[in-house]
Amino acid sequence: MARIPPSVLRRYLFGGHLPTGGCLRPLRHCRPTAYSLSAKRYHGTQVSNTSAGPGFPETTIPFRKQLKDEAKKRKAEGTGKKSKQDNQKLDDWELTVGIEIHAQLNTARKLFSAAASSINDTPNTHVALFDVAMPGSQPTFQKETLIPALRAALALNCEIQKTSRFDRKHYFHWDQPAGYQITQYYEPFARDGYITLYAHDGIAAEDGEEVRIGIKQIQMEQDTAKTISQPGDIHLLDFNRVGLPLIEIITLPQIHHPSTAAALVRKVQILLNAVDACVLGMQSGGLRADVNVSVRRRDSTSSSTHSYGGIQGLGQRTEIKNLSSFKAVEDAIIAERDRQISVLESGGVIEGETRGWTIGSSETKRLRGKEGEVDYRYMPDPDLAPVVIGEDLIEHLRSTMGVLPDEEILGLTNEYGLTTKDAMSLVSLNEGGRVEYFMNVVDEYLLTSAEAEEDLKAVGRLIGNWVLHEMGGLTHDLADEENPLNMTPEGDCVIPAKQLAELVRFLSSEKITGRTAKKVLSQLFAAGLTGKEETAEGIIEREGLWFTPLSEAEYAQLATDVLGGNTKVVEEILAGKAGKINFLVGQVMRADQDGRVDATKARVVVVKLIEEQRRSAA
Amino acid sequence: MLQRRAQGATRIYLAQEKACCKLFYTTDSQPAEQQPQDGINSFISTDVSNPELEFPKCLAQEDAISLAKTSSNLQPSLQSIAVKDNIATVGSRTTCGSGILREYRSPFEAGVVRSLRLHGSLVCGKTNMDEFGMGSHSTHSFFGPVSNAWPLDKLSVGGSSGGSAAAVASGQCSVALGTDTGGSVRLPAAYTGIVGFKPSYGAISRWGVIPYANSMDTVGILASDVSSIKKAFWRIRRHDPRDPTSVADKAWDRLASGQENSFRRRKKAGMRLAPALDMFGIRIGVPLEYNIAELDSGIRQAWRNCLDMFQDRGATIVSISLPNTRHALSTYYVLAPAEAASNLSKYDGVRYGTRDGSADGSDGSLYSRTRGKGFGEEVKRRILLGSYTLSSEAVDNYFLKAQKVRRLVQQDFDRVFATPSGLRPPEQFDLKDLDESIPMSSKLGPTQVDFIVCPTAPTLPPTLDAVSKQTPVDTYMNDVFTVPASLAGIPAISIPFTLPEAFHSQGKPAFAGMQIIGQYASDNTLINIANIMMNPRRTESQGQSAETVTKEYHKQNSSKQEQNQFPPIKEENPVSEEGGLQDPFPQGDRANLRIRKIKIGFGIRKMQTKGPLIRKYFQPYREVTSKRESEHFEPLARNVPTDKGNPERLPKTDKEVSKVLEDSLGLWKLQNR
Repeated sequence: MARIPPSVLRRYLFGGHLPTGGCLRPLRHCRPTAYSLSAKRYHGTQVSNTSAGPGFPETTIPFRKQLKDEAKKRKAEGTGKKSKQDNQKLDDWELTVGIEIHAQLNTARKLFSAAASSINDTPNTHVALFDVAMPGSQPTFQKETLIPALRAALALNCEIQKTSRFDRKHYFHWDQPAGYQITQYYEPFARDGYITLYAHDGIAAEDGEEVRIGIKQIQMEQDTAKTISQPGDIHLLDFNRVGLPLIEIITLPQIHHPSTAAALVRKVQILLNAVDACVLGMQSGGLRADVNVSVRRRDSTSSSTHSYGGIQGLGQRTEIKNLSSFKAVEDAIIAERDRQISVLESGGVIEGETRGWTIGSSETKRLRGKEGEVDYRYMPDPDLAPVVIGEDLIEHLRSTMGVLPDEEILGLTNEYGLTTKDAMSLVSLNEGGRVEYFMNVVDEYLLTSAEAEEDLKAVGRLIGNWVLHEMGGLTHDLADEENPLNMTPEGDCVIPAKQLAELVRFLSSEKITGRTAKKVLSQLFAAGLTGKEETAEGIIEREGLWFTPLSEAEYAQLATDVLGGNTKVVEEILAGKAGKINFLVGQVMRADQDGRVDATKARVVVVKLIEEQRRSAA
Repeated sequence: MLQRRAQGATRIYLAQEKACCKLFYTTDSQPAEQQPQDGINSFISTDVSNPELEFPKCLAQEDAISLAKTSSNLQPSLQSIAVKDNIATVGSRTTCGSGILREYRSPFEAGVVRSLRLHGSLVCGKTNMDEFGMGSHSTHSFFGPVSNAWPLDKLSVGGSSGGSAAAVASGQCSVALGTDTGGSVRLPAAYTGIVGFKPSYGAISRWGVIPYANSMDTVGILASDVSSIKKAFWRIRRHDPRDPTSVADKAWDRLASGQENSFRRRKKAGMRLAPALDMFGIRIGVPLEYNIAELDSGIRQAWRNCLDMFQDRGATIVSISLPNTRHALSTYYVLAPAEAASNLSKYDGVRYGTRDGSADGSDGSLYSRTRGKGFGEEVKRRILLGSYTLSSEAVDNYFLKAQKVRRLVQQDFDRVFATPSGLRPPEQFDLKDLDESIPMSSKLGPTQVDFIVCPTAPTLPPTLDAVSKQTPVDTYMNDVFTVPASLAGIPAISIPFTLPEAFHSQGKPAFAGMQIIGQYASDNTLINIANIMMNPRRTESQGQSAETVTKEYHKQNSSKQEQNQFPPIKEENPVSEEGGLQDPFPQGDRANLRIRKIKIGFGIRKMQTKGPLIRKYFQPYREVTSKRESEHFEPLARNVPTDKGNPERLPKTDKEVSKVLEDSLGLWKLQNR
């Protein structure tokens, strides 16, 4: 799936560099960014006790120790965990899950100030007056932030609202300078979308080939400041992150299986990446999920009287906050479902509460109950005018959005004959560069075609195999660890598409053997890395690798040698074990170093020789 | 930039004259309770440096040119301007009259101050005010209350821009900036006998103006004469891209010229016909609902005299009805505290402002002590009130309803004004709420007017002594006439008007504030009208009386009347049988008391019998219940949270909050609504 290559991650984590996708790059130099407010870098706040604000649990146990302890505990309990595949469905209970996903938008500026977006810059260097809530400062909505948000909404098939508004959500925490977060509570900018999950997305088997999950709404909101905890209960605040634009995607409670929930989050991430709306994936903290979990008995609806998102008859739900990986989403849902069922089965009542999940644990943990819940006191922001989004902008974004991953995978499987698995690999590798490269090679390959019509499916499968599997296996000392092919998102790499197409063409027209082709490929790779200009043809020519078929005499010679070395096998065959012939054919094929042996021909020769022996023996 | 924690002492300059500065010392742990009795305490800081003028080189070129151009011929009255202390200035503190910002220095300057400075004005000081603008008597300041100048020194100066008003009234400066959220400029102007102008919402940049209730906040101007206000307004009205609610210049020009054109057209006709009648053709509305029982009889008489004066100058007086204004005050006291509670949540002492010295967070919260000590009583009360009306259990019944009522109040004004606001599409109005005594000019509705004239405050300034005995709700009542214009965002100006001699009394001023309210963006014509009213009538000698000219006019224009876009003047201003003009209060007894008592009180007569009317403001959404009235009006402020013993203790849960509020403010929850 859309994995973020470690190199990108490393650049981002240590250097703060972001891979800039297409749509917003030109915007980056349109205006000077707001100057930093202060030369002082850190604002420290001290609290005398360790308990943090609501909803922000702090884990002080080292992660490794925690994992170890939990593993130990599991071992002590001695219960082998049910495998996840078997744990998706229960006979008596129905699980219902709704998910809220927060994603950081890929924009040049903050949501309400002209300060630049940054990720790992020196703390507190991109802060405008409004970001730190200086008295008398006012928000200025940055319209450009709408572009990635709208792309995301379109990718999730939402209805873009003509008018949307911003509201204030109040709660006190030191990472929230104004005392409220500006979000869209009453009138979000997008509603009523859906996302379609297919079997290849990894949904539960019970959901069949595909399942459609409704999106209730998408809203824009501000991010909070980053807290950097120091020993001695000191918390340093980095306001670079405060006010960065986020979108919150809220699904309807239509998910009934844990792995479908994980698949949904994964799919959302892929879609956001594909439309260049999102900065980073889940693994790197750019995406966070909260899940709402409830269960109800399949047979009766007596105790299930709650309704969420317009869906009636659900059980009391609990919310699990801040899940930061796909695995955590799935595991937390399973754990919470099992907890709720055991409470209900023992005659208890589920309380509406907020729970937490730590990676590796087997149970969710209660964070706060309903009475501890913050009343957010939503209020329309009186300074911010409604956002009116024109039909023309939506149309423009829709038409320039490009092909979404699902459509692309469908095209690759239907037209190019790839398997779904290969198609997904192609699409997700190298930020879409691999599939571009694949297309280039296919085009080049078809140009070298002698025939007018070629079976595109066969060509696709052949090229797909080479681009994905053969090229995937290349190694070299000089090669970059993460991206050995130096594949760019535009589809260029160290092996020019033209050369690969020629190479495959030589192979398919039987001018070289498969083994030769692999050899030439690795030489092309080495040449590309060292900067030498080489062509496939040149290498084959220089090394004399052109395929010359074996003569009848050579076949006979090879076969005789093999039979001579395997007299025991020959005897067995003569005794009636005809199946052993295949073994001998294999031996013959292996005998030729260049792999020029054709299996059918070899078989004929071997059978002939054995029949001769049989006759001579008789 | 970021506020340095006040370490040892905080210096507070209190000065009536700059020569006699007094130093007061206060420490963090002991919030200052000092109440300076000498001077009128109108300034919080007078040590304002004016960086642009000291370092003209740091100005951008075009700014420097405009400065050079304007400062040379700057009016003396505009050379030195006092600024309310919730408007950010560099080179001095900006405290908002609050303990939590007592040492705060803003890193940037407000747009309006910048505009003034670019026109060559100097900031002479930062004036005292009710903390964050919350108050009607300028008594809720961390820096001590503002007192009136002798001989009115026992009286309230009004609030919250009381410091600005007192500075102008005592002659320390001729123009001062204030802010007006619910009457905070007009009320002090009325109490101190000066002119106070609240412009249309969005006309003047609020960038750098520390918000109380953003949707109603405006920067207002206080001055001793109208012409200074006119000049100052001309200098500071411009679009500021940093303020998202600032009206774009183009839009403003369109709206304002729309208002001015209709005014000019009639003015021109009047000038041709009757040069002596400088208000000829202007229609003045008199809202019946504003004639409340609590209106001071002297002020009522002054109001009538004022209307007479308009009439004598050729204006037509028309009764109008603003039925929803009876809800305006309660709407305001739901909306403004809600916005304030939200706006004030940023004061946590982390990035700026004062933090309580001792370790905070005994119960896991970082700010409770800082906020508990930093804010004053009234601010805490309104934060609680706002937090409650926004809480999930109350928001539907209070905040959202109040927003709807606010829209109705705006519609009321749109209905009575002859020119549309230009902000909202014209609507067909439902006439069923109108007072039945309002005559119809056509089947579409009653006559529409250009301006509304009413008193600024229902009473003369109360003594500070009386103020201290008032309950919070009683003090809210002072805003009853000023709040509607704030809710609607329309301009209003308060001018002093002499009280009839019969009503003069010892220790009370001989003037009352009269308020002129205009349609949105009619600021310039509004100021012009106020200017005419403030100046003595030009000539009486030409022998033209309003009546004769009117008759003349109708004779001449009888053929043109149908083309007039306004309802024909003949109908709205009929010459009555006695030969006089139409009574502004129809069915009134002219000889005795022209304002009939039966008409007063928001058009609801059944409310007359019980209790002070103002209490009714706090029951706009109440369903009729079987409870006796008195049960709803428990003594106010009985259970207002006090700081005694546990200063940082504020009610924690919503239940507690709502309990406090129900008990203390006479607000109660609607059941099953």
